Amino acid sequence: MQQREPAAPDDDVVEVLMQQHGVIHNLFDEVRASGAEDRQDAFSRLVRMLAVHETAEEMIVHPLARSAVPGGSGVVDDRLTEEASAKEMLSRLESLDPGAPDFLPLLDDLRLAVLTHARAEERYEFVKLRESTDAATRTRLATALKAAEAVAPTHPHPGINTPTENLVAGPVAAVVDRVRDAMRRANADAP
Amino acid sequence: MSFNPLAEKGIPLDDQIRDWRELGVAPVDPDATHPYTKCRIITMNAIEVESVFFGHHFSRFCTDRAVREHLAHTRYIEQQQQKVVNWLLPGTASVLETTISYEQQAVDLTAWLARHEPDPYLKQSYEFAVLEDFDHLYRYANLYEMIEHRQAEKLVDGLTEVMPGRPTAWEHRHPVDNVRDPYDKATADPRSKLHTLTLVAAEQQVMNLYMNVGPLYMEPIARQLYQEIALIEEEHVTHYESLMDPDETWWERLVLHEYNECYLYYSFMQQEPERRIKAIWELHLAMEIEHLRLAAEQMRRHDRRDPEEILPPEIPETMVFEPNKAYLRQLLDTQIDLTTLGAGYVRESHERFERMQQQIHRGEQPPSEQVIDEHRARFGREYRLQTEGEHPDPRLREPETTPA
Ligand SMILES: [Fe+2]
Ligand SMILES: [Fe+2]
Ligand SMILES: [Fe+2]
Ligand SMILES: [Fe+2]
Ligand SMILES: [Fe+2]
Repeated sequence: MQQREPAAPDDDVVEVLMQQHGVIHNLFDEVRASGAEDRQDAFSRLVRMLAVHETAEEMIVHPLARSAVPGGSGVVDDRLTEEASAKEMLSRLESLDPGAPDFLPLLDDLRLAVLTHARAEERYEFVKLRESTDAATRTRLATALKAAEAVAPTHPHPGINTPTENLVAGPVAAVVDRVRDAMRRANADAP
Repeated sequence: MSFNPLAEKGIPLDDQIRDWRELGVAPVDPDATHPYTKCRIITMNAIEVESVFFGHHFSRFCTDRAVREHLAHTRYIEQQQQKVVNWLLPGTASVLETTISYEQQAVDLTAWLARHEPDPYLKQSYEFAVLEDFDHLYRYANLYEMIEHRQAEKLVDGLTEVMPGRPTAWEHRHPVDNVRDPYDKATADPRSKLHTLTLVAAEQQVMNLYMNVGPLYMEPIARQLYQEIALIEEEHVTHYESLMDPDETWWERLVLHEYNECYLYYSFMQQEPERRIKAIWELHLAMEIEHLRLAAEQMRRHDRRDPEEILPPEIPETMVFEPNKAYLRQLLDTQIDLTTLGAGYVRESHERFERMQQQIHRGEQPPSEQVIDEHRARFGREYRLQTEGEHPDPRLREPETTPA
């Protein structure tokens, strides 16, 4: 098996994606552990992180895997099916009150679906992506991904009133738009 | 009224074969499952794997067709039990997460057995080795944060501390110094025989896991760390198996294997909080009771001896997964510097040890040290989980660092 070229970890899009998988898993833990009063807040942060992550994957990672990885388009189709069903669960969850009795069981379903999906990406998509792309491409995409993450921080500093804070409080659709813009800009800046 | 597996009635062997529906167990929840439930799963998997390989070896040395048929039959059942037990592990857990559970299991299993071991030489042998798996947990936990960006605390849940043990670099001894002296089967306490067998099974499974999954990693540091620790697990298997009396007959060993399965399923049944998993331990106990009865019958026939001669008069105190923090800290305080010389333990390093260290390290940092260095370079600190304060050994406290 080919060993990966050493790159500074944060400069590799695959590293950043895996890091985000870790953050998402941690956020699920936070929602599960939170009491009724904090649950909405923790859940909102989870939803935003999911939006940032999945949007970025849909815009840049999956298309790249489709073209660069042998057999990539089948792999990506499978991932998109998983993402679609997770999105469905997510929108059902968003329509519920976090204190509702079926909220936590549904959250468990979503958690297991997202974890399974993330593990499948890591095993069947990212591994191959790392083999079939060069370090420069992965660095450029890492930058784009980090720019996207910055427009939708998951842990805002309390008491600081900035445009970012407004965004954090805004609807997920707005987050997705901002992520898309950031990704396009980052892509356009590429050499 | 204590439990005696020899006096119980089990499930007839012919009724023990399971269909696909029964084999198709749902995995446990990777986040919501108690860490010690995972440890029990990992232990029972190791026990079943040992039981399968023991059956294969026995068969290879056996000329009696009827016996070989009997072994083939029970071995198939043990394989199905292994499938049910090990398939409880969730595929969403990464290999590294499973590895961390394995080391947590090794630590708290070995510590409990050491605490309950009646023989001082055996106890010393368990205490010696537990500090090494304790160190592996710390090395893998640092790799885990580096690769998966999660902290091992999520897995061990504060039940087991994560900090250096006997540094893995020092664990590479000359192979000759891993061969201990065996207990004497005539005088050994039956509990000692069970404890040793359990540790052989557990370490053998750890060794097999690492030697097989290590090369599936891409990250050079992960590949190297698995390779290094897999070699220590080879030492541990040598260490524990050499404690068993080589004069035990095949029938004695078979009876001990089956009794030990009864003992552990019975133990785990008592403490299992997950109902569905508890039902599996109960079912398997009922199967093992019949395996034991059949093995005992064969021992009487072939060895012309009573199995009661080698078994405990009543089921020993049940084995429990529980935190062993104070005990481990006391060992960390007193036994870090131990190494082995021949069958014994010494505090001073000796020529053969020095030569082995030189041959394998060549004066360079092994992967187990590199993983900590790389982690520090990236995060400005190590990953540790010290719930009970500073490391007992001042040499192994975390050095001051500047934030990355
Ligand atoms: Fe993902
Ligand atoms: Fe078994
Ligand atoms: Fe170990
Ligand atoms: Fe070990
Ligand atoms: Fe058995």
